[in-house]
Amino acid sequence: MMQHKNLSAAPSASTESNAHLRLDGLTKRYGESFAVASLDLAVPKGELVALLGPSGCGKTTTLRMVAGLITPSEGRIVVGGNDITAMPPYQRDMGLVFQSYALFPHMSVAKNVAFGLEMRKVPKTEIATRVKDALAMVRLETLAERKPRELSGGQQQRVALARALVIQPSILLLDEPLSNLDAKLRDEMRNEIRDIQQNLGITAVFVTHDQVEALSMCDKVVVMKAGKLEQIGTPVEVYEQPASPFVASFVGRTNRLEGMAKGDGTIQVGTIALKVPTRTRGPVDIMMRPHRIRLLEATRDPADDSTNQIHGTIKRVTFVGDLLQYHVDVEGSEIIVEAASDHGRGIRNVGMPVTLSWRVEDTMVFGRSA
Amino acid sequence: MEAGQTSVPMKIVVFILFLFLLAPVLLVIPISFSGEQILTFPPASWSFRWYVALTQNSAMISAFWTSLLLGTIVTVLSLLAAIPAAYVIVRMRTKGSEFLYNLFTAPLLLPTIVLGLAILIVFASAGFLGSFWGLVIGHLVITLPYALRVLATTLGNISLACEEAASTLGGRPFTVFRRVTLPMMAPGIVAATALCFLVSFDEVVITLFLTGPRLTTLPVELFHHVESRADPLVASVSVLLILLTLAVVMVVDRSVGLSKTFVK
Repeated sequence: MMQHKNLSAAPSASTESNAHLRLDGLTKRYGESFAVASLDLAVPKGELVALLGPSGCGKTTTLRMVAGLITPSEGRIVVGGNDITAMPPYQRDMGLVFQSYALFPHMSVAKNVAFGLEMRKVPKTEIATRVKDALAMVRLETLAERKPRELSGGQQQRVALARALVIQPSILLLDEPLSNLDAKLRDEMRNEIRDIQQNLGITAVFVTHDQVEALSMCDKVVVMKAGKLEQIGTPVEVYEQPASPFVASFVGRTNRLEGMAKGDGTIQVGTIALKVPTRTRGPVDIMMRPHRIRLLEATRDPADDSTNQIHGTIKRVTFVGDLLQYHVDVEGSEIIVEAASDHGRGIRNVGMPVTLSWRVEDTMVFGRSA
Repeated sequence: MEAGQTSVPMKIVVFILFLFLLAPVLLVIPISFSGEQILTFPPASWSFRWYVALTQNSAMISAFWTSLLLGTIVTVLSLLAAIPAAYVIVRMRTKGSEFLYNLFTAPLLLPTIVLGLAILIVFASAGFLGSFWGLVIGHLVITLPYALRVLATTLGNISLACEEAASTLGGRPFTVFRRVTLPMMAPGIVAATALCFLVSFDEVVITLFLTGPRLTTLPVELFHHVESRADPLVASVSVLLILLTLAVVMVVDRSVGLSKTFVK
């Protein structure tokens, strides 16, 4: 936790030296409202960083400012020690993959990929070999002479990737590149993009609203909300130690209860007392991941010191193939519990009284200022 | 086109509508092969005499060349003005964009007779009357709005993403415009070309005010001819004009497709 706190604050000498891309107080205002509010970020060379957040959180605006397509209101963008804030996009040397792919419809696949090299006045023979290599990298050698409209979505996506990478950009920027693909293709492309990024060792920024993409592909996840940074961390940190209720609920599923911390390691939620791993005091939000809660036969046996136990009634059961989702009513609040489905056996019925049990360390507690 | 199945009553309605629209035009074709001295239908005798007469009518022929040259120059100038104007209005959106667009397309809303009169008054004092370049300017007033309208719509429908992609790939603004924006505007440019040429070639009202005894366009010459004589010569000219229009439309259809060009 301490480590990424440092990254988000004013960069220390060590992060400064190994940061390939650095954003200093990057801000975009539209009139009175902030699309991005004073964002600080340092991306080390060769890392894939996800900007994760709901739509309107400023992640795409941030990416477009890095690419030079939007002029920041304040702040600096630094790449490899050079301030590029005022540089026009055509001098920035960044490969941007668009959500819509943005292939040139009047050019063949090969011409699309060659465009950036032609702009750089690369000799014709070299262009030919580099285009061939780039298309081979995304397994599209055979479609070089096709027009973009003759390709499938996944193929267009790979052309866009090849076009962005063939110029050997200093940074690869990806704007929701997988959101227009169907689920199966999305999984494939996820691995493909990650493999290519790691093989080339290229610094990359990946904008997404999909927490699965962010967690599974990226070295670091930057969670954003309303133009502000909520948390920076590795996928494991962001998932296991969310810095705020927002991060906890946006990255993975959670249950949320409101309670009053008494300062002695317990929290009163209605008539229930829960044990928590902190000794904070005052109004708090308590969150538990649905798959960390075990569903037991109703029991009145007291729990041991490392476990929380509450009692409720099953209101709804949803069978989701590999998972069973139980919606349990606990004193008027609904708590969701997820259990692995064992060949559809042992499903409990609606109306059954049950006991929910989870480890104290799996209880996330967030102080409420309001 | 490929619009699936059309029901029989619908087909009949469409047929009648087309007949209603085209009958007067089609009537011109048999009349042009009339052997008579005056316009009658049906003609009592048949011949090519009015096509032969046309080849000997130097006034008509010179008017045709004037119209052709005028249409070509007006079209080229319209595109040269409207392409950058559309780019500035659509892509460099500022507070004045909307106003500029309305200003440029305003002549479409004015009655041409009023425009003609206004141009006459201005040109009379400037000494432009009866001059070829006076005609060019007069025609530009009415072709520019068409060109700008078509091109602005085309450009507005092109996603900005391709131009942005070209720019991140290292394309400078003018290169991006030349290599990406302009080719993507091609259907609109073909449509604007056809429209400008046909509007200029066909224009009578404004032209009537601006032509003189030594300089006249084909539609105006036709108009004067019908005023003084009622022979089938005008029918043979009309047939040739129909063929020319058809040729333009077919070129458009072959290059980008009619529905893609004119139907938005």
